[in-house]
Amino acid sequence: MRVLLGAICLLCLAELSWAAEALRVSVVLSDSNAPYQTFAKSFQQNLPAGIHVHVLERPEDFSGDAQDTDLVVTVGVKAAELVSANTRLPILAAMIPSSKYAELSEKHARPLSAIFIDQPWARQISLLQAALPGHHKVSVLHSSDTRTDITGLRKKLTERGYKPVFKALRSNATLYADLEEAMENSDVLFAIPDNAIYNSGNIRNILLSTYRRRIPLIGLSQAYVNAGALYAIFSTPEQLAAQSSKAAVAFAKSAKLSEPQYPELYTIAVNQEVARTLGLNISSAELLHMQVEQASGGTR
Amino acid sequence: MSFRNIWPMSALPLILLACHGARAADNTSELDYYQDFPVVLSASRLYQPQSEAPNAMTVIDRKMIVASGFRTIPDLFKLVPGMYVSYYKGSQAFVSYHGATDQYARRMQVMIDGRSVYLPPVSMVSWANLPITVDDIERIEVIRGPSAASHGANSTQGVISIITRDAGAATGRRVSVTRGSKGINDVSARFGSAGEKFDYRMTLAYTADNGYDDLTTNPNNISGGVSLLNNSHDSNQARLLNYRADYHPNSADRFDLQFGFNHDVQGVGFNDRNPSPIFPTLTNANTLHDLFSNSGFLQLGWIRLLENNAELNVRYSHLRQDQHESLSYFESGTFVPGPILQYLKTARDEVEAQHTLPLSVSNRLVYGAAYRADHINAQGSIPLAPPVYASSFNTNEYRVFAHDEWRITPQLLLNTGAMFERNGMGHERTSPRVALNFHFTPRHTLRMGTSVAYRTPSLVEERYPIDRYLALRALYPARASAMRLLYLPGALFVSSKSVTSPNLRPEKMVSQEIGYLGEFPDWATSLDLRVFRDQLNDGIYIASTNVFTNGMSAVYNGLETTLKHSFDKGGELTVNFAHELASSNGPALLASGQRTFRPARPEIADILSGSTPRNSASLLYSQRVADTFSFSTAYYYQDSMQPFDRGFLDYQPIQRRVDVRIAKEFRDTGSIKGEVALVVQNLFDQGYTEYIANNLFNRRGYVTLTVNW
Repeated sequence: MRVLLGAICLLCLAELSWAAEALRVSVVLSDSNAPYQTFAKSFQQNLPAGIHVHVLERPEDFSGDAQDTDLVVTVGVKAAELVSANTRLPILAAMIPSSKYAELSEKHARPLSAIFIDQPWARQISLLQAALPGHHKVSVLHSSDTRTDITGLRKKLTERGYKPVFKALRSNATLYADLEEAMENSDVLFAIPDNAIYNSGNIRNILLSTYRRRIPLIGLSQAYVNAGALYAIFSTPEQLAAQSSKAAVAFAKSAKLSEPQYPELYTIAVNQEVARTLGLNISSAELLHMQVEQASGGTR
Repeated sequence: MSFRNIWPMSALPLILLACHGARAADNTSELDYYQDFPVVLSASRLYQPQSEAPNAMTVIDRKMIVASGFRTIPDLFKLVPGMYVSYYKGSQAFVSYHGATDQYARRMQVMIDGRSVYLPPVSMVSWANLPITVDDIERIEVIRGPSAASHGANSTQGVISIITRDAGAATGRRVSVTRGSKGINDVSARFGSAGEKFDYRMTLAYTADNGYDDLTTNPNNISGGVSLLNNSHDSNQARLLNYRADYHPNSADRFDLQFGFNHDVQGVGFNDRNPSPIFPTLTNANTLHDLFSNSGFLQLGWIRLLENNAELNVRYSHLRQDQHESLSYFESGTFVPGPILQYLKTARDEVEAQHTLPLSVSNRLVYGAAYRADHINAQGSIPLAPPVYASSFNTNEYRVFAHDEWRITPQLLLNTGAMFERNGMGHERTSPRVALNFHFTPRHTLRMGTSVAYRTPSLVEERYPIDRYLALRALYPARASAMRLLYLPGALFVSSKSVTSPNLRPEKMVSQEIGYLGEFPDWATSLDLRVFRDQLNDGIYIASTNVFTNGMSAVYNGLETTLKHSFDKGGELTVNFAHELASSNGPALLASGQRTFRPARPEIADILSGSTPRNSASLLYSQRVADTFSFSTAYYYQDSMQPFDRGFLDYQPIQRRVDVRIAKEFRDTGSIKGEVALVVQNLFDQGYTEYIANNLFNRRGYVTLTVNW
């Protein structure tokens, strides 16, 4: 079957003892769309009684001097940006890219922590090693002004024995020519979050181009895998919410924000049909998940 | 205050959201992870891996096409084990499997993007008239062995499936110019664009060459005056265009629109039957002249993705080909300015619907139905009474088919399928197939299969105009020997208006095979091996009464293998080899008086066996040297053979040929890129002759300059 969900191991937060006094949390969503709603619902379900949650579906509605809030949990970039510019309250910015966290913490001085949406490079490379052990020529196409830490990626790939090819997009008009060039000496295309390249308008022709060259695309989400990417490693809103709940509980206990964190929980999805037609013999999502856990020794 | 800051902060996110599609690149967000995409690589997009195919399959991909250096499509099939590629004239190719046939290779199905271009009414594929260039091809899949269950009728020997480039696969502009010896002169321009909802590409091309070399010395060490000398008049000029568009308005529907046109002029005819001082009274009804062809097609396809990866695929296509010729002739030594005028018009409409339905995680069913209508309209006139002969009729056929792919266990894949058809002559046949693929490890597969396929009798066989000969002979009894040639003049076949071989049945092929596919990643090698036994029954031949009849039977036993190896420094090697033995009841039919089976050479007892090369091989090696320089070379070998229906002069000795291609790319020239490539065919000038001995192939070379921007 096309889609295999990886194991989603939800932490049993109820077991945590709850001694701190009641905490008032404002959850500010970037939008009222599905992923944010799912996050809000899941976040509340994972909290013990005694933590009061107030959900704002529009970040514009957030008032910076809210007296009834101890901690603001922002969900997504838009909420994080608006809230951090408007308040001095402690913020847990969930579901934001690690690059965005760096930018926000530089801009405004206040207690700020984050639960990133992106997976650490080391974990992604461990998965690459487990899924495609024979593939070493990794190409990465990126915008010239990308904020994604491609220097870090290049360094990690090289350290692990890969021969990465990084190709900067010259312009939107040259996307396919640049893609072809990036793939020329490569055996796998590694997608990074970059909306100038990987958007719903381009994904079709990107996937068709990679497939023509018999080069697998490594995606960023279940949607990539459904569309035709070989596999993806990602965290669902539920998984990020569970980790955020844990961080909120810890804050309630210590009144201190923990360090920003990469996702502890993640899902691996594999498109076995694409693997078969590319002649790739790839392990099941469950087995890959185990291998990644072993290789990275847990969360990192 | 800077301009940026006059915007209230709360308005900024709205602007960001509105510009989501064209956000600046540094604005990565969770939307990059939670955006929705359409299913792109759906079932109809995915190629079947060779290890899961129910038949032996050879894939010729773009890399191989480029490395081969070939500029015509039929030549590409020299890279398929066991394939026989030859030419009746410089541009009248025929491609067959299991040895030579006559000039009409009737037993292969040929498809372009699912549209059959084998025209049963004219009994052949007009390769020179296809409105595509080699460069328009993305990939070719060749099924070796009958595959009626999934590819319809007339696939008794195998199926050639040509897949052209996607509409979105040719973005930008590209101009290519080729100049070479033997009149090689090709120009093509291609442009296209890929967008969010609409992709298109278009090719305009002109191709020309002077065909084969002139034979100036006796072929095959045959002494004495050979009439075939200086007999090649086989130039070809084609002007063509093709267009493909893909409209995908939403995530569920995809519309494919294609059309194309080809105007082709071929040099045809032979001068060896012209009267000469030695033979002053010869008749030649096929003197040197030009054959004009206009052919075109339109294809509309609709693919709808349904729930649970199911898919509905509907396709309509219209094909037409209009050909005409005009020639003077010699009758019994006398020049007749004539002229003989002939035209042949064929048209086809076909509609097919197919439903791909995953029944479970491990079982997928594909079923559907198709209806086809062929129209033929042919006419000739000759300055004899009766001056005009014509033939005009329609045939209709339909078929229903189903194919099931069942993964019984991860190791075991069972393919079963069948097609039921009612052909244009009213024959009803069912062609079943069953194949079991056993992956005894993920990298090693054993395949066992058996299948049945039928071939509809062709127009040539069903309506051979022997009645016209009898009528002319009755009118001109004193000129009977000239009438023997004048009843079927020129290059076009104008059939009889009525069925002259009324009792013909479809030919039947039963095929059995065992195949092995292995991958050896430690040695960067893969191996494809198969042994087969194909049994032809009810084979059609022309009887001594000049009526076509069933009754030939033949058995083909053989072994085929393909080995691929990648070298450390980027070299790619493909080696194909085929060993085949054929036998037939030809000797018995000859003994019963059937002259068709009389061997052209005394050492050949069975003409079918003699026309099947015992061993054939091809080898293709390509290597990228440095970053912008590439080199490839190919070697082709074919054992000696005597073409089925040709005379002893046309004996084909062992063929050996080496081709090379070297190319240099230009990249660092801003937005313009280019390539210069030199191809030399038959590098060592091992001059060999083809199906007809005056088709002499000497060394030739050409240079191609390509510019992309």
